[in-house]
Amino acid sequence: MAKHVIAAPEYTTLEIYWQGLRARWGQICSGWWEFRRNPLGVIGLALIVVFALMVIAHPILMGTIWRPTIYDPYLGFDTTILTNPSPPTSRHLLGTDGMGRDVFSQLLFGAQMSFRVGITAAIIAVTLSTIFGGMAGYFGGGVDLILMGLSDVFVLLPALVIMLILGLLVRLDWFLIALIFGVLTGLGSQSIVVKSHTLTISTKPYIEAARTAGGSHWHVLLKHIFPSLMPLALVHAVMTVVGAVLTESLLSFFSRTHEYMTWGSMIWLGQRTFRWFGMGRQWNALVPPAIAIMLFCSAFYLVGRALDDIVNPRLRNR
Amino acid sequence: MSKFILRRVIRGIVAIITFQTLLFFLMQALPYDFTAFLVLSPASRRLAQTDLGQDLPLWQQYFSWLGGFFRFDLGRSFMAWPTPVSTVLLGRAPRTLVLFFMAAVLAYLLGIWLGKMIAWRRGGIFEFGVTLVGVASYTSFAPFLGFLLINIFGWHLGWFPFHSMVDHNIWYKETVTVDWVLMRLVFSVVYVMVGIWVLGWMSRRIRFRRRRRALKLGGSVLIFLSAVIWWDQIGYLHLALDVLEHMALPLVSVVLLSFGETMLLMRTTMLETIEDEYVLTARAKGLSEAAIRERHVARNAFLPVLSRLLLNLPLVLTGSLAIEMVFQWQAMGELIFVAIDFQDIPLLLGILSIVGVLALIGHVVLDILHVYMDPRLRFAERS
Repeated sequence: MAKHVIAAPEYTTLEIYWQGLRARWGQICSGWWEFRRNPLGVIGLALIVVFALMVIAHPILMGTIWRPTIYDPYLGFDTTILTNPSPPTSRHLLGTDGMGRDVFSQLLFGAQMSFRVGITAAIIAVTLSTIFGGMAGYFGGGVDLILMGLSDVFVLLPALVIMLILGLLVRLDWFLIALIFGVLTGLGSQSIVVKSHTLTISTKPYIEAARTAGGSHWHVLLKHIFPSLMPLALVHAVMTVVGAVLTESLLSFFSRTHEYMTWGSMIWLGQRTFRWFGMGRQWNALVPPAIAIMLFCSAFYLVGRALDDIVNPRLRNR
Repeated sequence: MSKFILRRVIRGIVAIITFQTLLFFLMQALPYDFTAFLVLSPASRRLAQTDLGQDLPLWQQYFSWLGGFFRFDLGRSFMAWPTPVSTVLLGRAPRTLVLFFMAAVLAYLLGIWLGKMIAWRRGGIFEFGVTLVGVASYTSFAPFLGFLLINIFGWHLGWFPFHSMVDHNIWYKETVTVDWVLMRLVFSVVYVMVGIWVLGWMSRRIRFRRRRRALKLGGSVLIFLSAVIWWDQIGYLHLALDVLEHMALPLVSVVLLSFGETMLLMRTTMLETIEDEYVLTARAKGLSEAAIRERHVARNAFLPVLSRLLLNLPLVLTGSLAIEMVFQWQAMGELIFVAIDFQDIPLLLGILSIVGVLALIGHVVLDILHVYMDPRLRFAERS
């Protein structure tokens, strides 16, 4: 027994934090090595990087080579083009829509909107589900009963219909959409999953050891339960992005939102001006946003699946 | 066990009361009321409000709604005034049932079959391609898929009609309504499916594979033909065919949109069960690969997928707004849009609470079944 005891070297606080950071970095690196073995996940990550580049490109292009009066996604108009909508030219890479606005500029602007909605919804949902599910699973008893009773109710609310109804009451902008979607998924289905995961964590010996060593409930929750829920939370976050972006696009397609230009409203305007037929000639306002929505959601979904393979160790070695 | 069931049911009832309260006050918070859409003088508007019961105090409205809900009385729709909400909903039910439930079942069958296949042939170009198709199906934008199908198969090729639910040139001289035909269509689809299932169950006794297959195939064709002949006998075969022709494109698009999720889930659960010891035992016994796949792995992997189906089925009622809008299919989703636009509060409450109650029953039943089937959980509950 005694030969295993090593005299603890004396570290300063800074060194302890540094070592913690190095340990985390090591985890991230090993996770990255696992991730790289999944080709679909890498494809998804590459797509996300492309969309991020699109977000960065839009303000830069507007500031340098695109004149705002022509290329603004909402108010722009090109007087040199006589008939709108027009097919792609070198001046307008994806042509113009029925009101003479540049489709490519709209596409880049929509990427920004999708990122905003998706990531905000993911952060809200994951924060809520980790806190509520973790607390319900760890404390059990009355806390579990109240919190799970709450998620019993939230599971029953269909997000799209609730947003359609709330759209009459408030101005639905991107933040509200993200907030409602995040609350509904985070308190609903996600916290049920997180709770059952917490139940398996909280029976492990190190939790008991932390309690025996004198750690309070809050200490155990903050230092042990929540950090071990983080990998699951990452998977849930990525999956929430898919649902949030699809819901936001559908709402914009029903023209119930108050955002100027998103991919969903581009499709709505496109199908209004082009009609549904003869898309072979005038495809340029309908196809790019639809493909963009599909690729954006697929990218996040593929990354989420790859992360799920890493987090769920039963599937890892196959 | 009975204590657990009792506790779960009480939790369900509390949840449904909370859900109803939340919905009711959400609806009451909406800015206008229904009478604002009628062209009325202020005096007659007040009269209309009294008629609709909107001038009562809020708590009185709330308790009358809640009491009515537990007596299976959903109130009366504002738009179709003296008609009860339940009648309006039942009128729309066949359209939703015949399209979306059929599509959901088809999508599940397709998804389970494909998921089984890609889990079995893991690694390689087949799995890669099918997974990509599944992800595309899961994430594609519903209205755009509708436009695509309409453009290709409706407009350019001209194979399927897409303007409306039925062809008015055929229907204007008929005495039956669309819903009447749709309801019988639901029955005949159920008849054919149950018949084929019973046939498969009965033919398991037959030893010889060729005879078994012949019986299955011949019996299925006979059952299908009997349904067709029945339609022909009552004289509405052309109407049924017309409805089916108009239903093809929306059906295909719903199936394409929803099979991916099932497929990916089936693949994951298959991969989890494939490594279990009893699969190794089955292989050591010398069973064929197909028998191991069908009887040992797929049957165990099927349970989580089935529970997902049960949980998602009620959401079918509200989940297909876009498809209904694109294909002009006037079912539940279109009703939701109209009810929101005209603030028909009883109708909206009725739809949402029916969906909620069905989903809640699914959750409760699944929880109970889960505990009932897993002895570990059952003993944990007892101690």
